[in-house]
Amino acid sequence: MKQILTSLVFLLTLTYAYGQERKTVSGYIKDASDGETLIGVSVYVREIGNGTVTNDYGYYALNLPTGTYTLVFNYIGYEKIEKKIELTADLKLNLELKDESLKLQEVVVKATKEDENVKNIEMSVNKVEMKTIRQMPALLGEVDLVRSIQLLPGVTSVGEGASGFNVRGGNIDQNLVLLDEAPVFNSSHLFGFFSVFNPDAIKDVKLVKGGIPAQYGGRISSILDVRLKEGNSKKTEINGGVGTIFSRLSYERPLAKGKGSFIVAGRRSYIDVLAKPFLSGDLKGSRFYFYDFTAKANYRIDDKNTVYASGYFGRDVFGADFGFDWGNQTATARWNHVFNNKLFMNFTTFYSNYDYGLESDRNNTSKTGDKFKWNSNIQTWSLKPDFTYYLTPNNTVTFGGQYINYTSKPGTALAISSGESRNISIDARYADESALYIGNEQKVNDWLSFQYGIRYSHFRNLGPGTNFEFQEIVKGERKIPVSETKYETGVINEYGNWEPRFSTKIELSPSTSIKASYNRTVQYLHLLSNTAASSPLDVWTLSSKIIKPQIADQVALGWFQNFQDNTYEASVEVYYKDLQNQIDYVRNSDLLLNKYLEGDLLFGNGRAYGAEFYVKKNRGKLTGWLSYTLARTERKIEGINNNGWFPARFDKTHNLSVVGLYQLNERWSFSTNFAFNTGTPASFPTNRFEWGGWALPQNVNDSRNASRIPSYHRLDFGATLKSKKKLFGKGQGEWVFSVYNAYNRRNPFSTYVQQNEDNNLQTEAVRYSIIGSVIPAVTYNFKF
Amino acid sequence: MKKIFAQLFILTLTLSALTSCEDVVDLDIPSGDPQLVVDGWVTNQATEHTIRLTESAPYFDNRPAKPLLNATVIVTDDKGKVFTFKDLKNNGYYVWKPASASDSLGRIGGTYTLNVKFGTEEYRATTKLNRVPKIDSMTYFFDKLPVAPTDGSPQEGYKPEFFARDPAGAGDCYWIKSYRNGKYYNSASNISTAFDAAFSPGANSDGLIFILPIRQSVVPQIEFALEKDTMKVELLSVSLEAYYFLNQVRIESTNGGLFATPPSNIFTNVTNVNPNGRKALGFFGASGVSTFQTVIDAKKAKPKNG
Repeated sequence: MKQILTSLVFLLTLTYAYGQERKTVSGYIKDASDGETLIGVSVYVREIGNGTVTNDYGYYALNLPTGTYTLVFNYIGYEKIEKKIELTADLKLNLELKDESLKLQEVVVKATKEDENVKNIEMSVNKVEMKTIRQMPALLGEVDLVRSIQLLPGVTSVGEGASGFNVRGGNIDQNLVLLDEAPVFNSSHLFGFFSVFNPDAIKDVKLVKGGIPAQYGGRISSILDVRLKEGNSKKTEINGGVGTIFSRLSYERPLAKGKGSFIVAGRRSYIDVLAKPFLSGDLKGSRFYFYDFTAKANYRIDDKNTVYASGYFGRDVFGADFGFDWGNQTATARWNHVFNNKLFMNFTTFYSNYDYGLESDRNNTSKTGDKFKWNSNIQTWSLKPDFTYYLTPNNTVTFGGQYINYTSKPGTALAISSGESRNISIDARYADESALYIGNEQKVNDWLSFQYGIRYSHFRNLGPGTNFEFQEIVKGERKIPVSETKYETGVINEYGNWEPRFSTKIELSPSTSIKASYNRTVQYLHLLSNTAASSPLDVWTLSSKIIKPQIADQVALGWFQNFQDNTYEASVEVYYKDLQNQIDYVRNSDLLLNKYLEGDLLFGNGRAYGAEFYVKKNRGKLTGWLSYTLARTERKIEGINNNGWFPARFDKTHNLSVVGLYQLNERWSFSTNFAFNTGTPASFPTNRFEWGGWALPQNVNDSRNASRIPSYHRLDFGATLKSKKKLFGKGQGEWVFSVYNAYNRRNPFSTYVQQNEDNNLQTEAVRYSIIGSVIPAVTYNFKF
Repeated sequence: MKKIFAQLFILTLTLSALTSCEDVVDLDIPSGDPQLVVDGWVTNQATEHTIRLTESAPYFDNRPAKPLLNATVIVTDDKGKVFTFKDLKNNGYYVWKPASASDSLGRIGGTYTLNVKFGTEEYRATTKLNRVPKIDSMTYFFDKLPVAPTDGSPQEGYKPEFFARDPAGAGDCYWIKSYRNGKYYNSASNISTAFDAAFSPGANSDGLIFILPIRQSVVPQIEFALEKDTMKVELLSVSLEAYYFLNQVRIESTNGGLFATPPSNIFTNVTNVNPNGRKALGFFGASGVSTFQTVIDAKKAKPKNG
């Protein structure tokens, strides 16, 4: 594999080496106000009608024949800069762009030929500016990244309050959620109500739903790439706020005279602090709070070397005598190295851990007592070198690899009954995953571009460990363990997969293009969850001899069109996705502390297809977007629904979202969201039967998800008022008002049947709503 | 494990209590053809035993189940003994009466086969009657809820706890039934089951004294026994099939909320002798039974956590 990579690079080098003399212009693009590097800034060379964009670290490089050029630097929301350069030798050109909104709104934005939506080869990618997410009305006023992206085309969830999100028919565990390149295993606080990302510390959010480039792997449906702020490198800045749920504070400042900077940001829920005086008796020791802490630092050693370190620590803690807590921890260290203007390297190493703990009888310390204690965790660390080779403006080669090491401890548990203790732990499991990839983005001419690449991933279950074998008695029922083989060391089981990736862009006119893509993705780590919404107790489980890797093949085709000098960008995309080795569960499945867990799993296929319509208004007093998705997501699992296709729990036929932001003047801005979704599928009984004095449900067709609950729709409003007075002479303050679920609709999360509470022989249907009323909220934010 | 989920569920409910709500609604759903339902359980106790035969009905048809009449109902054991059940009142309740005060149908270690014939159809179900340990004692302590229940039920009272030890040898399954002043706690959400001394097969709890939340399953989580109440607990041995069946009855009876599992049909051990014949529903089980009874006396209450 390595040889293939080297020879490919060599080959590409040869093909251009005999041209005229070429030099490279390269550098970093930053925000003028706080020194944050800017990702995805378009760098356009007027003379050749071509260009590039800055990478995830704000770096760009253009290899051009010697000569005079005009470079145009353009980034949405920032003032455009034009720079004339004389390229006779390699040139460093670092620039800072000014935020447009700092000037008055009346800035007339000149027609810009170059436009990402149409020109960029990326498709099925949504970027939402943090500025926008901040302005959108939020549940209880808490700015929430995951909730915001649920308003994008192709994204759904099983319902309000549910953890995670579903992209183009994928389960929540099929999204690779990256926080500064470290995977985050559970993206929620308080089950699913708030996401773990502190908005004060986030710089950039990108959701990749299709056309996934070769450098990404490990999950089959999407990549949610969250990048943390680097911290203000110009001056000390303090941000904070008091909301309904969280109190937030962040501190950022330059390091070493602007050669570096750092940010630390924390949030904590504070309802427990307010409730404390009112608690008595058993509740006195009650703990119910959640918090997170995010930090990042960077230091620019010299022009060629920059290092970054970032970390996240979050925890939810609940319970009194019975305690329950969970959380993620991630740490990332990165080194950006510019070898020779054309060759850029980022070397990442990360650590990520998710764990939870349960403990009963916390107040009981006597030896004769009773106790139950249980911890579970998944831990990974990784090394990941990524190279970008700016061969020519027409060829950008990316190559690299990744090594990931996994340790899964599904359950370390101890039970004590009347002083007798038992260890009821499940053996730890070990595995690793390696990948190598190479890709090239090739601009054939003015209108035609390709991006192609291949990734090879290799997964190994490592000893010590056990391979189980099961026997199937009845299809769809629990399989019986027949043998187990223990291994002390070595490779127990392995899988290897080639993952081809391909995208193309055909520009029909400066404001219109067609894009198409195909990608195969493979996933070796699975979140086992058989509940409507995923719970924090769900265990991330490694592939094994029985649990085959999940594989997805996706094709997508899109039409991209901009209107009125790029004030509006629009796209229509269709996709089809084929999923293999999808996981489902036998009835009565026991997924926790079960050694023979694999006997409770069922396997099958999935398919998802749909059309996404998206219009976004980028400029003016009124901005926002309209998104509509028509989609279908189905599964076919042996032993469920008579082995026929059935809609997935999160299948929503229609999904409409409207987001509007309106800047009235310098002080007031307003926002609104509207969402309409088809009700999620549900299974209802046809018949009842009496047994043991209870009326019990029975579906004679044994069908799954054949019905649907009523549609979901909701309207929210938000308003932001910037304080007139400077806070303590120099700071800024703002009030954020929000109304969630404005017309007070009781949207069902689910509808289910049950026995009447007072009469076990009487049956009834119940609509369960997570949010049953209008929820107004006020937040105060400040900045120094 | 299920209990932990229940705890979690309660926690979620509490947390979302500010906003979440449940409303009884009308639901228009299709119905299917009726099927035979067998509701039968035999024990080693010297009492009469009943096997009820009915038909299933459309889900929201809240009239009493239609009885299945004129069936031949026989139970045979592994020693060839035959017990005939008769529909004495012509209401679908087929009864076997002991010949004498000490005559019991069930025997620990016995295997029992139910045979139901009506018309041209013949159904069968087989179950084993497993060993059951005796209940050694019952204690209780005084406890109080931090807030008064909104439905007016008592805020304070006694929490009884029974003590029994699971016999050595893994795989014993149990159903714990309890009664307050002779009234059976009959809510499906209160169905309490055990695998060895804990909740599930993975728990490695063989041979232990029943673990804590199970010991306290005499009264539902937020209810109490009061002074002078007669509290009775029955420990029933059940087969592994019955254990799964009862768990599923509990789950499918109220399967709502954030952490609901996909509804699935409840397992049955009743099969048609003709594999292509009409299928049946329900369960035929057998148990060894241990009981313990106590009258709550404030003076005898133990301290909490004692």
